[in-house]
Amino acid sequence: MNKIRKSYVPFMKAGMQNLIIYRLNFIGFVIGGLIYCFVMFYLWRAVFASNGGDAFLGFSMTDMVIYLFLSNTTSQLIFSSVSNEIGEEIRDGSISMRLLKPVNTDLSYMFTELGTVFMKLVVLLIPMILGLEIYRYCATGNVMFNVGNFLLYLFSAVLAYIISFRVNLCFGFIAFYVKNLWGIGILKNSIIGFLSGSLIPLAFMPDGLRVCLEYMPFASMSYTPVMIYMGKYGTYEIIFRLGLQIVWSVLLYGLSKLIWLGAIKRLCVQGG
Amino acid sequence: MIYAEHLRKEFKKIVKEPGLKGSFKALFKPLKETVVAAEDISFHVPKGEILGFIGPNGAGKSTVIKMLTGILTPTSGECRINGKVPQNDRKNYVREIGAVFGQRTQLWWDLPLQETYLVLKEIYEVDDAKFKKRMDFLNEILELEKFIKSPVRTLSLGQRMRADIAASMLHSPKVLFLDEPTIGLDVVVKDNIRQAIMKINKEEQTTVILTTHDISDIELLCDRIVMIDKGKNVYDGSLHELRENYGQTRELVFETDNNSKLTEEEFRKGLKLNENDLVIESDKNNFKVRFNSRKLPVGEMLGYTLSLTKVKDISVKDADIEEIIRNLYRQGEKSDE
Repeated sequence: MNKIRKSYVPFMKAGMQNLIIYRLNFIGFVIGGLIYCFVMFYLWRAVFASNGGDAFLGFSMTDMVIYLFLSNTTSQLIFSSVSNEIGEEIRDGSISMRLLKPVNTDLSYMFTELGTVFMKLVVLLIPMILGLEIYRYCATGNVMFNVGNFLLYLFSAVLAYIISFRVNLCFGFIAFYVKNLWGIGILKNSIIGFLSGSLIPLAFMPDGLRVCLEYMPFASMSYTPVMIYMGKYGTYEIIFRLGLQIVWSVLLYGLSKLIWLGAIKRLCVQGG
Repeated sequence: MIYAEHLRKEFKKIVKEPGLKGSFKALFKPLKETVVAAEDISFHVPKGEILGFIGPNGAGKSTVIKMLTGILTPTSGECRINGKVPQNDRKNYVREIGAVFGQRTQLWWDLPLQETYLVLKEIYEVDDAKFKKRMDFLNEILELEKFIKSPVRTLSLGQRMRADIAASMLHSPKVLFLDEPTIGLDVVVKDNIRQAIMKINKEEQTTVILTTHDISDIELLCDRIVMIDKGKNVYDGSLHELRENYGQTRELVFETDNNSKLTEEEFRKGLKLNENDLVIESDKNNFKVRFNSRKLPVGEMLGYTLSLTKVKDISVKDADIEEIIRNLYRQGEKSDE
């Protein structure tokens, strides 16, 4: 453990410093996300208004607001750009410099990214939760914040990050075969956006599709933690969902290791 | 220390016909072609030696270095360094080596240089006292103080290269791989870098494998050279031997008032040399003689020319590495026939 701390924490620090150097980039990222949330908010408000009622498939408008903002924030928090990173390093050949370091390749990517995840947690998630709770208080007149659910949310979000990281890692290794990832990267992001329920809550989807999607790893990526936070799951279901996340984390870990072993043999470094 | 046995590396490459039409064709029916980057390379290097690993562009030098450092997996053949096969346990193996690729950097692009060294210190588990001593040593020979607080992306090429060399030496590696560490640098920086390599080799018995196109790098640093071409070994031995065997061509340049009398035929007749061993080029004031110094000592050629004309200035040029490679290459072609 101490060894991990010593050799990988520097990667995390470097990741954080990078984020600070490109802070405008980060601010743009945050504001872009917020604008997207508001667009979705007005869209769903129109849906609720045309429905005439308060609740829609068990979601009140207040629920919907919490869902939209929190699921967006969660997907930003757990967003992993490791596939772009690998893709870029393979395209320009700088992956060779990473392979020269006596560290685990995937852990070095992960810790660099954890630096930015940590920053996002502080400047994005905490203010968002505060804002949402104030909104909820104004809308309903009750304090509905539940510490237990919040802690479970965090735990589930950590698992969600691991899943998101591993999925992107597997995807990034495709770059060893195709050399340039940009195009299919866009495809991947929109597919994940849909399958993970960050675009439309999975609860709104037809039953058959919903059940399928809920078992897939993508649903665990932002839907599960947000539903836990909102108290939509009972105890039994929480345990089941978290268990599912753990199973997916382990499976994807194994898969990424397997792909790595095959990919590293195929590596050809481009450009000298 | 370092054993490379029959290393071979093939790549699959997609061949595209020229033009937009070709691109479309390649999109749907890619035509694959196998490229052999290294065909059959073998050599070994004892501990503490500086080996010059040379060859023309595209000979496969970088590919071999990448196999030796564990980045690439050989298609066939084997390499062992310190008794370890790089590909088998990359993480532990790379602890013992340092590497610089002239075209790339291992420095953290956006961070101040100092930060990279601190990160490396942790990764390689260098303790504080050793780290301080090491940094002082590297500062002294590579003069890093002036830019150690600047972000790496703002460094000049010479500064960056010095910083990269320092980064590769920080953890006192047993083997150092330097792939064109002096490319594109001015004389002063080149000299700094050579000093650093020499010092570390002398003081710590570091084994160094160096690729370069600069003959003075080899002359100043290397005990031995291995030359490859088209993915195969063509020469293995000392520089002196190489010169003796292949680099016998010398070039004399005379500055004269009037050289119209000096013709190639006259020289050939007078010195009894054929056209393979003597070539003359002349323009208005300069008169260039390139000849085989084994057939005729330089002194005799000088005396002969001086006896024919009045000379203002003379310069003697040694065979350069390109010339030697050309010679070797020509011989290789002959033996193929």
